[in-house]
This record gives sequence, C-alpha cells and structure tokens, in this order.
Amino acid sequence: MIRLAIILVGAAILACLPFFTGAVFMQFAINALILAVLTQSWNIIGGFTGYVSFGNSTFYGLGIYGTAVAMVKFSLPFAVGLGCGAVLAVLAALLIGIPILRLRGPYFAIATLGLAAATGALVSTIDLAGANTGLVLPLVRADTMFYELALGLLLVCTLTVLWIATSRFGAGLVAIREDEDAAATMGVNTTAYKVIALMMSAFFTAIAGGIYAYWISFIDPSSAFDPTLNVRMVIMAVFGGPGTVLGPLAGSFILSAVYEVLSSWISTAAALLFGIVIVLAVIFTPRGIADVLVGVRRHGWRYLTRNIRENRL
Amino acid sequence: MLLVQILVNGVLLGGLYGLMGLGMALVWGVLNVVNLAHGALIMLGGYLTYYLFTGLGIDPFVALPIAALGMFVIGYCLQRFILNLIVRSAMLNTLLITFGLSVVITYLAQLLFSADFRTINPTYSGANFAVAGITIPVVSLAAFVIAFVLAGAVWWLLNEMTIGRAIRATAQNLTAARLYGVDPRNIYALTFGIGAALAGVAGGLFGILTHLTPYVGATLTAKSFVIAIIGGLSNPFKVILGGIVIGVAEQLASLYLGPTYIDVISFGLLVVVLVVRPARSLRAA
Amino acid sequence: MSAAEPPILQAKGLTKRFAGLVSVDHVDFSLARNEILGLIGPNGAGKTTLVNMISGTLRPSEGELAFKGERIDTLPSYRRAHLGIARTFQVMKPFPGLSTLDNVAVGAMFGTGGGEKSRAKAREKAREWLEFTGLGNRLEASADSLGGPDRKRLEFAKALAMEPELLLLDEVMAGLTAVEVDQVVELIKKIRDQGVTILVIEHVIKAIRSLSDRVLVLHHGEAIAEGDPATVLENPQVVEAYLGKRRA
Repeated sequence: MIRLAIILVGAAILACLPFFTGAVFMQFAINALILAVLTQSWNIIGGFTGYVSFGNSTFYGLGIYGTAVAMVKFSLPFAVGLGCGAVLAVLAALLIGIPILRLRGPYFAIATLGLAAATGALVSTIDLAGANTGLVLPLVRADTMFYELALGLLLVCTLTVLWIATSRFGAGLVAIREDEDAAATMGVNTTAYKVIALMMSAFFTAIAGGIYAYWISFIDPSSAFDPTLNVRMVIMAVFGGPGTVLGPLAGSFILSAVYEVLSSWISTAAALLFGIVIVLAVIFTPRGIADVLVGVRRHGWRYLTRNIRENRL
Repeated sequence: MLLVQILVNGVLLGGLYGLMGLGMALVWGVLNVVNLAHGALIMLGGYLTYYLFTGLGIDPFVALPIAALGMFVIGYCLQRFILNLIVRSAMLNTLLITFGLSVVITYLAQLLFSADFRTINPTYSGANFAVAGITIPVVSLAAFVIAFVLAGAVWWLLNEMTIGRAIRATAQNLTAARLYGVDPRNIYALTFGIGAALAGVAGGLFGILTHLTPYVGATLTAKSFVIAIIGGLSNPFKVILGGIVIGVAEQLASLYLGPTYIDVISFGLLVVVLVVRPARSLRAA
Repeated sequence: MSAAEPPILQAKGLTKRFAGLVSVDHVDFSLARNEILGLIGPNGAGKTTLVNMISGTLRPSEGELAFKGERIDTLPSYRRAHLGIARTFQVMKPFPGLSTLDNVAVGAMFGTGGGEKSRAKAREKAREWLEFTGLGNRLEASADSLGGPDRKRLEFAKALAMEPELLLLDEVMAGLTAVEVDQVVELIKKIRDQGVTILVIEHVIKAIRSLSDRVLVLHHGEAIAEGDPATVLENPQVVEAYLGKRRA
C-alpha cells in the first residue's frame, strides 16, 4: 500500500517538526492541522457519500462546547471533555441525519446550511454554556502538545478514510454517491450507511473542536458555530479531490499555506487572491488536484484545457 | 395594534426579500446553478446605486434602473466568460466557483469602497404616512410595489416573449434549445444577467432601507436561498410570497422571541419545508 | 422440486396509484422456479411500475407480494436484494464514475444474503461475471465511457453479480441491432440454465417469443391476457391493444 506508506512517513516527519520550528510557525501549524482534520472528516460524508454537508460546523461547535462545558462547569479532565463533545456531536448527527439525509443533492446541502447558525443561536441562550458571553477554559501553554494531539487525530482520521476507501463499507458509500436508487436495489442499506457516514464525520469533527477549544481557551457561540468554517472545509476538500484519501490533505495544507503567505505579503488583498485561486482551480482542475497528477501524466499539460472543453457550454 | 404593525412591517420587508429571491430562483431554475455570489451581486448593486446618488446626485429611485443595467452587463459577462466554462461540471463545482466569485466581489468592494457602513439617504428616506393608526414608511411601500412590478415583468418575459420561451426551452433541455435556433451560451448569459439586474435593484432598495457593507453578501445569499426554496422556482409571484412568509416570520420571531431567533426561524422554516415536501421537484421552468 | 413449493414470486391484487391515476390495477400473477415470464404491453401500460414494486423502488398502494412464500411488499429495496431479487433499469443506472469492475463488485458485495464481505473476493467474482457477459476486455473502463450495447452488458453483470434467484429485466434489448438481440437472448438463456427465475419486459416480440415460457400482457395497468407465447400473441384483444397500436 503506497498510500499507507505516504501517510505514515508524512506523519512521522510532521511529528518531528515542533523541535525545529518557532512559536509563530506552531500557531499556523496547529490551525492548519485542525483544518485538515475538518476537511478530511467532511470528505467522509461529502467526498465519499456525495452528500455536500454544510452542517459540519454544527458538529465542530458541539465538540467545542461539549469539551468546554465539561471542563469549566463540571471540572472534568480534558480527555473526558473530548469524549463528551464527541458523544454530543455523534448523537446530533444521528438525530439530525435521519430526517435530513432523506433529502437529495442541493436540498440536503441547503437544509444543512442553516444548521450551524441555528444551533449557535440556541446555544447562546443556554446559561450552562455561558450564553452569549462564552466560556473561558483553564489556560495551558503547551503548543507542542496541542500540535501532536492534532497531528495524532489527523493520522487516525486519515487512516479511517483509507480504510473506507478500501472496504466494503466504503464501496457502499461510493455506490450511494454515484446512484442512490441503484445502490439500494443492489442491496446497500442506504439509510444506515449515510447516517453512519455522517456520524463518523461528526465524531472526528467534534474531537478537533475539543482540541481547538482547550488550545484557544476562550470560546463563544459565534466563533464555535461559524458557518464560513464549513465553507472552508468544502473548498479545501474539493480543491484537493473529494472522495480520495490524500487529496483533501493536500488541498487543506496547500490552501492553508497559500492563505498564510498571501496574508503576510499583502494583507488586504489576501482574501481577494484566495477567491481568484478558487475560481481558477474550479475552471482548470474541476476534479481536484488529486486528479491533476493522473491527468497530466496521461494527457500532458493539455489536461487543463481539456477540462474546460469537457465542462464548458 | 402592535401585532398589526409588525405584520405590515413583515409584509413590506418581505417584498424586498422576495425580490432578492427572485434573481436567485431564476438563475437556479433555468441554469441549475445555485448562485452563491447572488448576495454579493445584491451588495454590488447597492453600492452602484449609492455612488450614482452621492457621486452624481441622481435620485436613488431614478438610479435603480441604471444600476440594474450596470448589473445586467456585469452578470452577462460573468456567465459568458467565466461560468459558461464550467456549467456542465458537477453541481459542487458550480457552488464552489460562485462562492469564489462572491469572495472576489466582496474583497474588491472592500478595496474600492472601504469597509465603512454606507446608507443611501435621500431626503424622503424617513417619510411615512398612517392608515388607521398603522405607520407605513414610503420607501418600504415603494420597495414592495417595485418587487411586485418586477415579478410581473419576469413572468411576462418568461411566458409572453420569444426570448422568454427560448429561456424556458433551454431550461428544459439544452439540445432542444439548439433546435429552437438559439445559442444556449447567449441564453445562459442573458438569464444570469437578468438575475444580476434583479439583484441590483434589490441591492439599491436594501441600501435605502438599511445600510451597506461589503460583507452583507453572505447573509443575503442565504436569505435568497431560503426564499427561493420556499417560493419554488417556477412562478415569480410565489417567490415574492416566499419572501413575505420569511419577512413576517422574522418580524414575529423578533417580537416574541427576541432578535437572536431571526436566523433560527428562517432556517427552521426552510428545513420544515424541505422535509415535508422532499419529493416535489423545485426545478420546473 | 416438490409440488408444495411456493412460487418464487406471487402477486395478488397488486395496485399502484399515482395522485389518482391508476398505473397498475389489481394484477395477479405468479412465477414458478426457473421460469421465464415475458411481460409485454404498450408504452405506459404499467410494466416498469410493476417491476419497481417488485424490486422495492415503489411501494404498492394495495395488494400483496410474496417471494418464496414470504410477504415482501413492505420491505425496503436493499432487504429484497438480500433475499435474492435483482433488476436492471430501463434507463440504465451504472455508477458513472466507477470502472466496470467496481460497478459489478458492488453487486457482488451487497447482493443475495448481504453479499461477499471481502472486497478482494468480490472483485474476483465481478471479473468472472464480466467475462460471462462479454465485457472481460473492458474491466478498467469507466462506466460512462461505455457504448449502448456494452452498457446493457454492464447492467446484466451488475445484476448477476448479486447472484439472484429472481432477475427482473426491464427492456434490456431496446435499441439493439438484430444480431445484438440474438446475443442477449442467448445470454438470458444461459442465465436461466444457471437456475435463475427471470421476468422480462420487452418490446422485441421475436425475443419474447423465443425466450418466454409464459407471457403476461398489461394494458392500461390491467392484466388482459396470460398464457403460452404462441396463444397469447394471437389473442385478438392483445393484437388490438398492443400490436395493432404499434402497427398504426
């Protein structure tokens, strides 16, 4: 398995990084790793199953709040807090998933779109969760620990996705993505598969949220349930190649780096250039950069214009 | 009395919402593109009206058709030279590219217009009159009337004009459209242009009624989305009705539950509508 | 085969209404083990709706459906697939982004009895079924790059990989040339020889004549004739409803 080797070697190299870099880089790296986990988790429901979820930032928010409330209000240890957040998110995925996964295509996407905003608004009315003002977590300055935790989570999440890509379960998800009616008549229990995929996605997303909460140590509803975060997950996954194992990783690392570099050079125009990168990427590499490697090997650089010819009117 | 006033406010506001949804629904229904840049186009239309008013001293209501024309040209070019390149690609890609465009438009607006709040503020902006104790702001009423007139215009265009029939034929079937003797590239660009023009008018009215920042686009896209879904994609008047439903629901929610719940209400309604009638296809031109 | 064995499939008063329109109207029929039943009728007669009810894509509005003596009319599609019912689609539904091999492997992995749990073994079986249907040289081709006749073969292979006891074939010969029709007829006979019971919807009368043990004719959702092909195809009512219309 070449992919397994790449993942393990990559993880080993990344694990050594904190010993050679400075504090500023660590800030960037922890953020990038958490975003990569979110992107890879989204890949399970969005990339493999074909359900474009804009509701994953709900699970992120629940992970953040589950962890924070457990630690601040009940003085539970961090690990237990992570567990609380994960349980909360997975239960939410089950309860929300059963009705909402009956919707197909854009309807599912739209139905999930308001979910994060709505959950955020609800959380902001709960006193136990600090209502509008948010919660302050015990402060620890241990960037290396958070870095290694986030990296470990990314490794487990990616290995899970690798398993999905090579298992019967994953074949069922892909069949649902390609044609749900045909999948059902061929014996795939589509409802159960979709809901389980959403729950898996919610699980990793929530753990990432919990790590983020402890690291950043101050949370409030609008930052925890930020819908634009979900948009970034989708963009990074699609930029890299949804439904592949390594594509979403490449997509999130590259875009995190591009954004970081742009904002340090030309801070005002960074977002603008980011938008232009997205537009160009969709036009020239509509199946993600994972496909570019294959396509360019097969067709040379004409691969890029070939994409336009295939998709234009 | 308060309740009646709230209902009237909701209905009047709903007209403007409906107008926002109208352009979204048209583009979605005909091109099968969920345009995530729609809100950004509304914002741009708002700024265009603002500068026509403050820069050239043109009355905002006179400036609206000029802004609409400008937005039509921008919309036509966006579709013709960018979006047409990817329309046959996966749905996800059209979502992504229109999102990318919304980012570009938003931050171009920030560079050009700055991040300050802007309000289009003609002398009559605060004017209102009372009917049976109910206050009716003149500008809101005008926005409401304009929304209905434009819904009628869209309906007339789609059902009575040759170009409208060509647009509907294209929505049904690209090949059939070619048989109709029209170039679908042009029809797509025209449709997107009309959608952008409607967004432009909505933006101008939005700028008079509230205030503009370069960042309002995302919220307005989401709102237009919800309205297009609730109203359906087939009948312009139903879209306006969808806007009114949301307008009234928001006003009631903000009265009885507090303003935090405004977003919960509109999206809650959306989810209920989607789950209750999932089988019904929205796409029927 | 004992006389007491229940039929593979038995339908009693099967009915489907869409918003007041009756598409299938109280149809009764049964299928004996290893039989080929031809289902014919003019367009809009309700043939595909009937197949959709058997495969579970649609729920009947009324009536009973039993598979090997067990009621199945409320089971979801995937459970029926696990019991041993497979179908092809008139509007073919390959998984467009997957290779032919992966398409067929899905059938092997999820078909009768829940399918083959090992993905590697499933792919091995899929390879065999692709050889069987004559696609052995297109294993890695992506499904949406296949031409018409090859797509039909792929539909066959996907259904067969499920190793069904009952196979529902919805217009698998439409649009094929005479030579290709003969090939498919041979293929269907080969499948029956493996012990599969088959329901064939078809417009190609020549094929129905040479394949079917029995023919059932639907017209406006009602079963108007049933029996051996020669007799039924000469039945004046059938000729008028179906063949006459086609000639006009």
